[in-house]
Amino acid sequence: MEILVKRRHLLAATGLVALSTLMSPLKAEAQTSANLAMIGEPQSLDPMASTADLVSLIMQHVYEPLYTFDAQWGVKPMLAADMPKMSADGKTYAIDIRKGVKLHNGRELDAEDVVASLKRWLEMTPRGKSLSKSITSLSAKGTHSIEIVLSDVQPALLAHLALPSGFAGIMAKESIANPLVEFIGTGPYKFRERKPDQYVVLVKFDGYAARSEAASGYAGKREAKIDELRFIPVPNANTRVEGILAGQYHFADQLPVEANKKVSGSGNASGVLTMPYGFPYFPTNTKQGPMADLKIRQAFQMALNQEEILLAGFGDPKFFSLAAEHFPKGSPFFSDAGKDKYSKGDAAGAKKLLADAKYDGTPIRILNSKQYDFHHRMALVMAEQLKAAGFAVTLDVVDWATLVQRRADPAAWDIYITHSAFLPEPMLSPPQLGDGAPGWWKTPAKDAALSAFNAEPDAAKRGQLWGKVQQVVYDEVPYIRAGNFAALSGLSNQMKGYAPMPWPSFWNVSLSK
Amino acid sequence: MWDFFWRRLTGLIVVMALVATLVFFLTRLAPGDPAALMLGDQASAADIAALRAVYGLDQPVLVQFGLWLKEILKGNLGQSIFLQRPVTQALMERAEPTFFLALFSVLIAALIGIPAGIVSAVWRGRLVDQIVSALAMLSANIPSFWLGLLFIQFFAVKWHLFPVAGYGDPGAPLLERLRHLVLPATVLGLVNSALITRFTRASMLDILSEDFIRTARSKGLAEGVVIWRHAFGNALIPVITVVGLTAALLVGGAIVTETVFGLPGIGNLVVSAVLRRDYPVIQGALIVVAAIYVLINLVVDLIYAWVDPRVRAQ
Repeated sequence: MEILVKRRHLLAATGLVALSTLMSPLKAEAQTSANLAMIGEPQSLDPMASTADLVSLIMQHVYEPLYTFDAQWGVKPMLAADMPKMSADGKTYAIDIRKGVKLHNGRELDAEDVVASLKRWLEMTPRGKSLSKSITSLSAKGTHSIEIVLSDVQPALLAHLALPSGFAGIMAKESIANPLVEFIGTGPYKFRERKPDQYVVLVKFDGYAARSEAASGYAGKREAKIDELRFIPVPNANTRVEGILAGQYHFADQLPVEANKKVSGSGNASGVLTMPYGFPYFPTNTKQGPMADLKIRQAFQMALNQEEILLAGFGDPKFFSLAAEHFPKGSPFFSDAGKDKYSKGDAAGAKKLLADAKYDGTPIRILNSKQYDFHHRMALVMAEQLKAAGFAVTLDVVDWATLVQRRADPAAWDIYITHSAFLPEPMLSPPQLGDGAPGWWKTPAKDAALSAFNAEPDAAKRGQLWGKVQQVVYDEVPYIRAGNFAALSGLSNQMKGYAPMPWPSFWNVSLSK
Repeated sequence: MWDFFWRRLTGLIVVMALVATLVFFLTRLAPGDPAALMLGDQASAADIAALRAVYGLDQPVLVQFGLWLKEILKGNLGQSIFLQRPVTQALMERAEPTFFLALFSVLIAALIGIPAGIVSAVWRGRLVDQIVSALAMLSANIPSFWLGLLFIQFFAVKWHLFPVAGYGDPGAPLLERLRHLVLPATVLGLVNSALITRFTRASMLDILSEDFIRTARSKGLAEGVVIWRHAFGNALIPVITVVGLTAALLVGGAIVTETVFGLPGIGNLVVSAVLRRDYPVIQGALIVVAAIYVLINLVVDLIYAWVDPRVRAQ
């Protein structure tokens, strides 16, 4: 009997231990944790291995660039101590690195880390590779200075170094490997754990050395006010909406615009607009098929009513804006050039151009994907506008992976629907401004306008020269920029200090109880 | 019994060989290029070609198939292009939520479906039968994503009883992780209970009209004993089949439900892999799912043989 009682006690004790193991967290909870619902799983955590925005969005908290953008999209120093000293010919950049900046492994950042990171960026990323053709040398000058020598003038160099997409983040030289296995940067958060399709966890870096300037955009003082950031992939947009309403998430990225009223009316969260977030654009196939004829491309441009197209894509004028200019007022690149050709919606004029071009009725194939709902909705309206102007139209609806493959084949499409994030420097997007991008636009007028623009180091003069490039885009229609659109995010009332930018950041953001 | 087992095992190997071939070639038939997707808009044709070469995608398809098959036979499912980790590891990381979701869904489906089917058969044609049949039809036809969103709306957003989505915070204990499965398992259980109800009802009706049931009743046995011991025991085989098949399907990943509830399971992994054209993951996951499906079928067949000596004799 006594043995039986002892055995029961033993069983009960074992049960309690097992239960407490099941119930108790495996590690101590951080003091404050933010659950951030993202649109999916990041392709990688190496910001140089992928140009995907999601990778940059997360890893910009871990890695910092030499330069970054402020709220007005001006380039400002981050790990660099100040703006670079440039030689008179604009081909040599001397950059001092801030002293006393700690890497996440405790060592102080030095020029060798910067040189090793930038070399990796030049070798690995599409923008870096393109820029590397102009780099004569990149070297450390002492412990906290580097020098970049160019073979030709590259006025967009600092913007390239600042852009979070395909990110020139500075990493500890000893962590550099392919693929990266350690993520050691200088940012206000350090990497703790990734469970694919569950979360990426970053934790506050206590040794962070902040800048002293006031915060503005991505520039200035950064402070980790939340102890732990959890980036959670939630691919279903409705689930992100319900999650922010239920209080499970503190931030939900890229919500459907129709959820705005629901989120803002809920009382425990609000909808936040980032405007401009990006722009839809429609590249044309200038190499093969009917669109290779300039007059037919011009007819396409004349037939479009961008307001109807954007309304179909985004539902409410609050979420888009018509914009003939490729850069907003206040930007050095603002220009009215070509405005008279924007959003004409002139079916009769387009018909006349088609007649002049002797258009033979070959169907125009509009390649689009339902994976981005707004792409497909815009394609539907575009097709009707083109039909009204006398075009024969076929809608090729495919998944995004197929579109990405098919657009590389000049025999497979005439127009495709895509979008880009708003970027502050013309040479960053769209890729059609470069060579070899789908559409294969290459004409003497393009080369002349872009050569002059890219050879000019003076910022004010570059602004004027951009107007000439914009005019050529309107004249030759290698792509049509539809206008601007906003992104809607959901923000819990607990989250304070969030400043909307295209790559959401969570330093300087706090959580109230 | 052993002879029966070996015969079924040989069939299983043939099925798996066919599955492997089909999976590989169907995956490659779909247009799309994982390298172009990985590198994004700014990538040049040369960058894309270089990445394709890294993963052997520049080789002729038959060569790729041969290499893949060789690795499969060694037990290596390959390396994920997107996740940059072995496919086996990616599957293991997602096995827990999928396993528990399948288990709880089948339990809920069986707990609803079997009693409902029995009640419906015993009171055939009565009001209760009509109600159960109507509810079974309804639950079979409700889309799981819609029911999922409805559950989220009420049980998570309005009443805060369960989490909306996910599988627990980092370091969450097992019970907390399992709490995240309550809503999706209930949705799947409800949707899948319809088939079990219909099969149980049909099977019970067949058995209840047999002579030995009449004999049992004429011997004066209590109705409960007749139904539970004599009728239900004999009606079990089709019910085991349908429960087994439901379990096998769910282990393959309840794709829609996992997506709606943001569960990091195998279904979610397969959907993401298809969208990213992560060939090794698609192929590896489908092979493993097919193997589990076939194995569960084998187990169901063995249970038949155990429950019913006539199956062994055949």
